[in-house]
Amino acid sequence: MLNYLVKRLLLFIPTLIVASMIAFGLSKLAEGDQVLDYLITDPFGEIENPTDLFNAENTYQRAANELSLDRPAFYFSITSRAYPDTLHKIGLANRRNTVEKLISQYGNWPQIETYYNNIRSLELEILSLPDSLDAAKVKIPLRDLYISYRHETINNRIDEIRSVLSENKALSKWLNTDFDVLKNKYGDVFNQATPRKLLMPSIQWHGFRNQYHAWIGSFVRGDFGISIFERRPVADKLAPALFWTMVLNLGAIFIAFLISIPLGVYSAARSGSQFDKATSLGLFMLYSLPAFWIGTMLLIFFTTKEYGMDIFQGIGLGEIPMSAPWWKQIWLAMPHLLLPIACIAYPALAFLTRQVRGGMVDVLGQEYIKTARAKGLSEKTVIWKHGFRNALSPIITLLASVFPAAIAGSITIEFIFNIPGMGWLTLNAILQKDWPVVFAVLMLGSVLTIVGILVSDILYAMTNPRVRFGEASTK
Amino acid sequence: MSQRFRKNRLAFWSLRVLYVLVFIAVFGDFIANEKPIYCKIEGESHFPIFRQYLIDIGLAKLDARFFQNDWDEHDYESVVFPFIPYSSKTIDGKNGGYASPFEKQKIVSARYRHWLGTDNLGHDVAAGMISGTRVALLVGVIAMSIASLIGILLGSMAGFFGDDRFQVSKSSLWVYLIGLFVAWFYAFKARSFELSEAAKGGELSKQLLISLLIFGTILLTCRCILFFIKKMRWPGKKVRLPLDLIIMRMIEVLNSIPGFLLLLSIVGVLQRGSIFIVMAIIGLIRWTSIARFLRAELLRIRNLEYIEAARAMGFSNKRILLRHALPNALTPVLITISFGVASAILLESALSFLGFGIGEETVTWGKLLSEARRYPGAWWMALFPGGAIFITVTIFNLIGEGLTKAIGSE
Repeated sequence: MLNYLVKRLLLFIPTLIVASMIAFGLSKLAEGDQVLDYLITDPFGEIENPTDLFNAENTYQRAANELSLDRPAFYFSITSRAYPDTLHKIGLANRRNTVEKLISQYGNWPQIETYYNNIRSLELEILSLPDSLDAAKVKIPLRDLYISYRHETINNRIDEIRSVLSENKALSKWLNTDFDVLKNKYGDVFNQATPRKLLMPSIQWHGFRNQYHAWIGSFVRGDFGISIFERRPVADKLAPALFWTMVLNLGAIFIAFLISIPLGVYSAARSGSQFDKATSLGLFMLYSLPAFWIGTMLLIFFTTKEYGMDIFQGIGLGEIPMSAPWWKQIWLAMPHLLLPIACIAYPALAFLTRQVRGGMVDVLGQEYIKTARAKGLSEKTVIWKHGFRNALSPIITLLASVFPAAIAGSITIEFIFNIPGMGWLTLNAILQKDWPVVFAVLMLGSVLTIVGILVSDILYAMTNPRVRFGEASTK
Repeated sequence: MSQRFRKNRLAFWSLRVLYVLVFIAVFGDFIANEKPIYCKIEGESHFPIFRQYLIDIGLAKLDARFFQNDWDEHDYESVVFPFIPYSSKTIDGKNGGYASPFEKQKIVSARYRHWLGTDNLGHDVAAGMISGTRVALLVGVIAMSIASLIGILLGSMAGFFGDDRFQVSKSSLWVYLIGLFVAWFYAFKARSFELSEAAKGGELSKQLLISLLIFGTILLTCRCILFFIKKMRWPGKKVRLPLDLIIMRMIEVLNSIPGFLLLLSIVGVLQRGSIFIVMAIIGLIRWTSIARFLRAELLRIRNLEYIEAARAMGFSNKRILLRHALPNALTPVLITISFGVASAILLESALSFLGFGIGEETVTWGKLLSEARRYPGAWWMALFPGGAIFITVTIFNLIGEGLTKAIGSE
């Protein structure tokens, strides 16, 4: 048994690693600058003098460091010879993207680097000028240059700066030389392009100081990172959400088991009867009913005053003091939880009953049940003691599906009834582009799914000795 | 099998309902449209709906005659309007603010009645339902086609070859591995700038085609190189590829990530709603059940006597798989596919119910349903779209159930 367990556990490690890479890879596909979202106010928004610029750059750098976003993304990267291995050091995501796009057009990093540095030195030059010179008109096209990568756009910006300078003689006296340098540097980028470098593949090794390593490392240690949107640990947001989702799902699964077992056994014992056919069809329909439709219908008919049937409490959880003990919180929220629990319970109920019935029909058809009946045992003993016991084991394994369902199963229901659980949290995190939360949830979902599969495997192995002793393959 | 299926009354009726839904989806434009199907103005005959199809593919221009007035305001000599004189995008300003189907509506005649009510802006719900039918079936069918393609390919390979029967020479393994890397690098990595610019400018298909051409050419070159290597009698040792193990690991990874959550996050990350993206992602996530099913079937079939016989005849693996093993395993896959279509439709409607996925301009059942949550008074926005989702999902489930019984009893 132990051997079997260890073997299964070992097989899950690579699965988890690949799942984590998928989750991480997704976060890299997202557009936008996470550091700026994290900072709430854009430090580059109002810059009047060189110190402001230095401060802004420092603030950005510190935030990027806190989020480990100033590192390369992964252990290695596959690029071409044209790219430097220090690209991640460029602050501001849109500037980094611009530099990347410049490289992918011209393939000459050294020239691009000097050109880019010249934009900055010109900006510093402008910032150090006295206000009377009215340098703001140059500042706008110059800052646009940071994020322009098309040849025409860059030329347009340079022309704009030139026309401003030609109108303002005093300004041009200060800036002309630097501006000429910038112009020439861009000329170098354009004229000394080395596109052949783009065609030479190269693999760069970045070492262990990378974003993925930092993320997965702290995840393993139980630190899920910092929520970009609220600037507090993701774990702090997850804990209450997980609580409410668990309340919903455990309640629903409990009710589902409570009803489905007697119903399933009863219809199996009378299999083929009118009652059995009617329940089978009814349960099939129930299983096909989309929970989010029923949820919406219940919500609009039974919680609003529109139709005069507002029997149940409406959306949300109502007023719940956070300091109250957990059982009191559940008690207070119960009127709000009835409908959501019903919505999660009925598909599970339909599914479970079908499973119980199927398992029981199989068991009741076996020889030993006939023997038990022939012995003269009462029908009740035959069904519950001899039959149900043996049909129970596949049903227990279904319990394992509770774990992953806790994460993902109730997204739509939580959305409909505004229950602040995992699904609701995930939806909001996606809308707010709070990727650390989204990917913590994704990873947690994967871990719980795997734990669920593992638990069901173990339960199955415990009830089925053939698996334990390695007769059946575990592939 | 088809006779047995026909005897199952529920399943057979479901199939008939499905025909109706397909009809609505295909001819939706002729059932609900603000444009007339046929009209005659000043002695000239027009077919505005047909013409719109030509305009959409760029073969015709809009007739200047119809610019000034709304479609119902022209002086037609004779005209045939569709059954519902609104399209899903038509805004009937007079009947905005959720007009109930049973209450009085501000309409000229019963022809213009909104039989299923309107939404806040005055969109006709019935027309939206028809647009939703099209989206749901399209998503169900195309997503499951993608899933079937991947699932059948990988599942049959895993089941038929198992861990021990797939052998390649070392040389071809290396040539293909290197070839794949090179092809990916030159087709996609080196062209990433062109591709991303094209994606912004909306010319992605052209650039993607070029990339795929480069990819194909490089792989073709690999085949040629291998041909010469074989000619020079230098193929190297044979190695076994544990296909089953590799493919089962892939399935396990995909199954370990909660599907709906993954779908939500991908659509959220991409931030571009498009029906094609949703279909592609559902297809890429949902192939595992088909692959598992087919793998189990082929694991059984590959040990049957007639396969042994084919092997003894000296047929190649490829021929045995494609001509002898696979055809016998494909019918039961229909069961998985029909349940899969049901779940794909459910996924898409849940996704658009939450406000994700399909772009603003397309009306889907999920979007209509979500509006009922915003305005609880509009029961018709909850009842009809939700009922449509229910019926569609149920008929695909019933068809799957019917197939299971029909195939199982054989």
